[in-house]
Parts: sequence; C-alpha cells; structure tokens
Amino acid sequence: MTTPWVTPARLCAGFALLLAVLAACVLHQNSAVGIAALWADGNDIAGVLARYNWLPRVTAALVGGAGLALAGVLFQQTLRNPLAAPTTLGVVGGVHLALLLGTLFAPALMLHARGLVGFAGGAGAMALVFALAWRRNLAPTVVVLAGLVVNLYFGALAVVLLLFNEEALRGMMIWGAGSLAQNNWDGVLYLLPRLAIAGVAAVALSRALALLDLDDTNARNLGISLAWLRAASLGLGVFASAVVIVELGIVGFIGLAAPSIVRLAGARRLASRLVWAPIFGGLLLAVTDQVLELITLNSSMLIPTGATTAALGAPLLLWLIPRLNLAREPGSPPSPAPRSQTPGRLVAVLAIGLVVAVIVALFVGQGADGWDWPFTRPWDETGLWRVPRVLAAGAAGAMLAVAGTVIQRVSGNAMASPEVLGISAGTGLGVLAVVLLLPGAGVPVLLGAGMLGALASLAVLVGLNARSDYEPERVLLTGISVLFLFDAVSKIVLAGGDPRTQQLLAWISGTTYYVELPLAATVAVLGLVLFAVVRPLQVWLDLLPLGMPTARSLGVNVGISRLLLLVLVALLTAGATLVVGPLSFIGLLAPNLVRIMGLARARHQLAGAAVLGALVMVMADWVGRMLLFPSEIPAGIVATLIGGSYFMWRLRRL
Amino acid sequence: MRRRAAAARAVPARRAICIGWLLGLALFFCAVPGFAQAEDAPRVAVIDWGQAQTLIAIGAPPVAMSQIPAYNEWVAAPDVPEGVRDLGLRVQPNMELLSQLDIDVITITSMYSGLRERLAPIAPVKTIDIYDGQGAVWEQTVESTRRLGALVGREAAADALINDTQARIDACAAQVPEQTKPLLVVQFMDARHVRVYTQNSLIGSVLERMGIANAWQAGGNYWGFATVPLERLASIDNARMVVVKPLPVGVAEEIDTSVLWHHLPAVNNAPVLYVPPVWGFGGLPSASRFARVLVDALGEDCSAGRAGS
Repeated sequence: MTTPWVTPARLCAGFALLLAVLAACVLHQNSAVGIAALWADGNDIAGVLARYNWLPRVTAALVGGAGLALAGVLFQQTLRNPLAAPTTLGVVGGVHLALLLGTLFAPALMLHARGLVGFAGGAGAMALVFALAWRRNLAPTVVVLAGLVVNLYFGALAVVLLLFNEEALRGMMIWGAGSLAQNNWDGVLYLLPRLAIAGVAAVALSRALALLDLDDTNARNLGISLAWLRAASLGLGVFASAVVIVELGIVGFIGLAAPSIVRLAGARRLASRLVWAPIFGGLLLAVTDQVLELITLNSSMLIPTGATTAALGAPLLLWLIPRLNLAREPGSPPSPAPRSQTPGRLVAVLAIGLVVAVIVALFVGQGADGWDWPFTRPWDETGLWRVPRVLAAGAAGAMLAVAGTVIQRVSGNAMASPEVLGISAGTGLGVLAVVLLLPGAGVPVLLGAGMLGALASLAVLVGLNARSDYEPERVLLTGISVLFLFDAVSKIVLAGGDPRTQQLLAWISGTTYYVELPLAATVAVLGLVLFAVVRPLQVWLDLLPLGMPTARSLGVNVGISRLLLLVLVALLTAGATLVVGPLSFIGLLAPNLVRIMGLARARHQLAGAAVLGALVMVMADWVGRMLLFPSEIPAGIVATLIGGSYFMWRLRRL
Repeated sequence: MRRRAAAARAVPARRAICIGWLLGLALFFCAVPGFAQAEDAPRVAVIDWGQAQTLIAIGAPPVAMSQIPAYNEWVAAPDVPEGVRDLGLRVQPNMELLSQLDIDVITITSMYSGLRERLAPIAPVKTIDIYDGQGAVWEQTVESTRRLGALVGREAAADALINDTQARIDACAAQVPEQTKPLLVVQFMDARHVRVYTQNSLIGSVLERMGIANAWQAGGNYWGFATVPLERLASIDNARMVVVKPLPVGVAEEIDTSVLWHHLPAVNNAPVLYVPPVWGFGGLPSASRFARVLVDALGEDCSAGRAGS
C-alpha cells in the first residue's frame, strides 16, 4: 500500500517539477535561445513556434487531461466502479462514429459545428446507454454492461467506415490516436470555458454525489432521487469527455487512471478527489506529451500522445493492480432469467438453425454472373473457398461462446468475456509485432506469434493474480489493461499511415478471409478437444457462481479450479482469435443470450452458447461476404451488429 | 429475357416473382459484354493500383482489379476501361470471383505477399515490386514497368511508356522557371499533420529528374514518406510548399487561421502551390502526371507574377 509520505499534493508537485524540467528541455531543443523564445520578436519563427505551437500544446494537454480526469471521477463515483471511464461507457465510441459520419456525409456540418457533431455522438451513445439501463434504475453493473456493448457496436460501425474509406479518413486515424499538436490558441479557447463550466457544476453536485458512497437504500432515505442524480452526474461526465475528445482526439487512460492514482495516494474523500484528480490528470498528460516531443523532435516519426498515454499507462495499471484495494461491492447478481422447462429442446432448435445456416453458407452465393444456384458452378470455384471460412467461423464462434460462459460463471460477472480478459488482445499484440517487424511474413509466422502473445498475456494474468487467489475483479482489471495496451499500440500503428495497416485493420475487425483449410481444421479440432475437457468440469461451473464460501463448503478447491478454468478459457480464446481477430463480441453475447432464453444450468448453458455462437458467426460470415459483393465486411463486425442489436433489445427487458 | 419476365409475372406467388427477378438479373449480367481482349494476351488480374495504372497505360488493361471507384477518386488517370471487373478491397481481393474469371496470371506487390499462397491455386502469382526498402524508387518503377510489359507481351509498349514518361518529364523540366526554390511536397492528413514525400519516393524522384531540390532531407519510412506535425516543417528555410490535393474536410479553413502555418518559412517565402490529386505510390503514369501538374502550377504562378509586375 501507499507509504505515508505520498500525498496527492506531493505527487502533483513532483509531476509539476518534472513538467518544468521537460518543458525547459523541449524549448531548448526547439531553438538556441531556449525559454527566451517565448518573448522573442513577433515574426521570428522560434518565437511563433513557442507561442503558437508549444505553449498552446502544453496548455491544451493540462486542460484536456484535467477534463478527462474530472469525467473519470464523476463516472467512478456515480457507478461505484473503479473501471468506469469514457471508454467503458460508450462515450468515446459515440463521438468517434459521429465524427467519421460527419466527415464522410456532411462535410459542411463538420466545418461549422465539429464540436456539436461530436457532442451529439457522445450524448447519443450515452442516451442509448441510459435508455437501455433505465428500467434497472441505472444500476452500476447494468450501465457499464450497456456502455461496453454500445462502445463495441459503434466501434464496429466505425471500422466498416475506415475499411471502405481508407484514403478519405486517414486524418481521422491520427485524430483517433490523439495527437495533441496545436497551431494556435483556438483549441485551448475551445476547451477552457467549457471545462470550467463542467468543473463548477461538478463542485455543485459534489455534496449529493458524496452520499452515493452510502448504499442505495440509505441514500434514498435521505431523499435523493438516485436515477436523476446519476443521470445528472453521468451527463456532466459525458459533456467533459466529449469536449476533450472532439478537440484533442481519443486520449486513453487518463480518465481511468488519474482518479485511481490520487485515490491510492490518499485522496479518499470525493471532495479531495475532485480537486486532485484533474490536477494530476492534466500533469500526467502534459508530461507524457513533452517526453514524446523530446523523443520525436528530430525524426520523421509521428507518435500520437493520446494512444501513448494508454500504452504507457497499461503497465502502470498492471503494477497498480496488486496494490489496489478493491472494495468488493455487494453488486447485483445477474437477475434470474425465466428458466426454460425444456432446455434440451431449445438447444436442439438452435442446432437445427446452425445446420440450415451452414448449408446456406456453403451452397448459396454470388459469383461472376450474379447469384448462383447451388451446384451450378464447379466446387473448386465456390465451395472450396467457402468450407474453411464456414468451418473457422463456426469453430471460433463456439469456442468464444464457451470461453465466455466459463469466465462469466467463474467471475460471477455477466460483463466478463474473453476479450475483456485480454487473451485476444495478447494474441493481437503478437500478430501486430510480426506485421511491423517482418513485413511480408506468411500466415504461419503470424499464427505462431499470435499464440506466443496469448501465452504471454496469460502469464501476466497468472503472475499478477496468483497471490490474490484469482479474485475476479483483479483478473478482469488485468485483462482490461492488456486490452488497453493492444488498442493503444494498434492506434499508434494506424496513425503512422503505413499502407500495410489496412490489412491489419481487416484482421482486427475479425475477418475469416485469411483462413485456410488446415488452420480451420486445426482450430475446429482444438475446439472439440477443449469442449470435451470443459464438460467434466461443469460441476465447478454450477458451484462457483454461488460464492467462494459456499463452493468451498461443497468441496471445491476454489484456487485450483479457477486456475484450471482460466487456462482453458485462454486456450479457447487464443485458438478463436487466430481466426477471427481480437475484437469479437460472441464471447460476451452468446452466454448472456442463452441465459436470457432460459438455459440456467451450466450443462445447458455451455451447449446452447456453443451452438448459438457458431450459428451467429456462420451467419455473420455469410452476410458479410454477400452484402457488398465483391467487397467483404468482416464477420466479426457483422456478428457485432447482428448480435449487438439483439443484445441491446433484450438488455432493456433484462 | 422479356418472355421469361412475362412468364414470371403470370405466376401469382411472390416467391416465383422473386426467383424470376433473380434469374433476369443473372441473364442481365451474362449479357454485359466481356472486355474484348487480344487473342494471345494473357488474362491478368492486379491488386495494386500502380500496376493497374501501368497496364492500362500500355494498352493491356487487366481483366480484374481492386477498388475501381476508389481508384477513380485517388489515382484518377488513366481511366479504367469499361468491362474491367472489380475485385473488392485491395487487402481482400475476392477469391471466389477471381477463380471464376479464368485468370492466367495475378500480379501483386510484396505488400500483399500474405495472399500469395492463397492466390497460387487460382493462377500463377507474379510479385513485381517497387518498394523494397533499399533500391532507388525511380529505377524500380521503370523496371517494374518493363516486367509488366513483358508479362503481357507488350514490351514495345512498355518501352514506349518509359521513353514517353521520360520525355514528358524532360519537357516539363525545361519549363521549370529558373531559381525555383527547393520544394516541400506535402499532402494534408488533417489540419495539423502532413505527409511529406522523401527523396526516395515516386514524387521525390520526379523532382530530382526535373532538377528541383527536395527540401525534406530527414528521411521517411519504407514507402518514401513521413507523417509529421506541421511544426516539424518550421526548421526548413529556403523552401517552397507544394500541397497535393485533395484537402481533407475543413483543413483549408483551419490552416487559413493558423498562425503557425503562415509563419512557416516554406509558406512565407512564396505562395503555396496547390496541385490536383496524384497517387504518390503509383507507376510511371502518376510520375508524368505529377510533373505536368507541378509545372502547370509553377507556370501559372510565373505568368501571374509577370502579369502583376
């Protein structure tokens, strides 16, 4: 834990000193006169650079970082969740999508009201999240679940736009990575008044918000309308983060990390966090930015600050996790869904659906002369290409669904999924490294690197969590950190504008395009073997969600069973990720859907989720291949769009 | 076709109409005339736009190429002849479609080498590279034009294209005003970031052959460009800015109010030259196009200057 001599004030003072030193270095590197450039003659380029480029940039970083940290404090306080941040609540996805759409379809609007477009996107996404969670009185877990789903959903749409408008949206990739470069004071003048308003409003709300530290019943007894208080506080957070994101691009991690770090440094009360988190957030962003300035000063590289804060922040977060005192909130367990009386028949119906989908996917399609009837063309011009894709899509869908079911039962958390665990992100990092370091490497090398990445992220997961007995929250937090790292690195790469990145983008979005039969068969066999291993462990899956003491008293060795199940999840996820990319949605979706359908026992949920996962992926792959023929939409994205729509619709009645 | 459609209309069931419509659609696509090919010319499919451009320029257009609409927007010249099939995204040419088009040879660059093994069963795959991280881009571009010419049996046309390109660039070079400053050729990514073309890029090579110095000396990536924020250009004195269009949305307005932009020496020294879109990673047709648009811009500027004085 923290040593007594660390206080928020000392921490911030240290960072301020660091910033001053760095700033002097950067100025000195920029021109021979150093700090004197700030008051140099009006037309001297060194003076212009210092006054209209460097100074606005530092100011924008300080102000923007403060805004994000403020949003983070509001989100975390309101939802009583240390993982709440603009990213986890759908805001970032909404702003991003709105700006992409604006650039493509309403350039005039973007010209005059860029901020409005972005804010509308962020607010729209948040409104959607509110609407989805309203019936549950905006309960923290439901809000975060809805936020993650909305973020993924909008992210999928954004990837489609980027994939098909590569050249037109190049600049948006830089924005998406959060470069803080400034040309004049416009950016700061945009940020400052808006964030000042947000700050004043947050202080005004702070007394009521502090009462949220009590539990719901007590707070309600004090006469607070919880739903409206939460809505006001979250809305304020959205405003602050949307303002920063529109102006500076997507700056990761600050909103999540600054509040957590000042809390660790001893700012326990809301009032003191409201003061210190924004100060620290601003300093953190400005320091990172100045370090990057120093590094890239005389090179031709572009390293965007926003993505780098996330990349640097991820290891910091990993370091923090064992030190983090996660107050285990009582939490609302997943609401009991109606139990189906005939689970076997339900699974059988799903299986029939899967068979039909496979037949359609294999035999129906478009060709050189439009739609073909089955068997009109030779097999090697149609089916030969389709078999590996259908097989791989089905196997990956089933594996992710099983992995999702297991991790959700082990953690007792409906929000858990393989991608949140970071295994898919680890695979992604491995593949990314190969694409960058060995241009033109073949598929086998990519696969090997992906497997190594998955194992490495598993090792991190186990290494950091063995001592805490695989406490579910810590495991999830570890996974999210790895996901952050992957997201950040891929954004840095995309911002560089390397022409190869388009292939990367396609793989990240989950296409089966690159799958060949041997790989598909290997993955399918791996899936079957792992499924056979999971089945005897179903007892654990039925008992673990009952809570540790109960499980233990029923004779389950909680530590070992969790470790074993985690390894299984990792293997299932790695296998599937090699095929459909790291950002699948099926692992989150399928287990929840079959639970809503009424498959409550582990045995039925596993089988149902596997079949449903395969069904959705096969359908998604086929639709993705046919919709814009001869271009293709990656199966992962279509699955997100199909499944996400259904999931959001059901979430309202959860 | 009309009789068939009439028959379908007579059947009341909606499904029959639907099937009839699809059948009509299929017949319609059959009726689309295939591209007329010379008897002995191999049927080529290309993925890279530079290669497609070169093949079209030497009169042997490919049977199929990638992303034709985007090509029209970003490469612009020469026009894609009618009848060339679209293969979909460059990173994901449609395999099923490729296998149905009786392709004789597929050409790729090493950027797409990940696809090589997948494409091999469809037709022999030829890798023809310009960018290999070491060689001079100009020589590689000329060489790749020769190899493409040899591939389709039009060596003479390829040589003619090479000579013609060189003649055009020389002709343009002759029109370059004396005392032209070193040029900084950039393309805007957004209002605060540009892509600068290095010496070892297609654009840089054209500058060199026109006897114009490239003001960007700091090097770049594998593909001959660097993506940098504007302030990185501040240290470049004695240069003139050339902006390759199109400008992203809002950039024109934003740089207009940008103090930094107007104080950059390369902007301050002389009026900025804006030139129409040129594909910076293309083949020889893009090279001569750049030479022409650059000279046009320089020339206009000169005549305007003369008229003014």
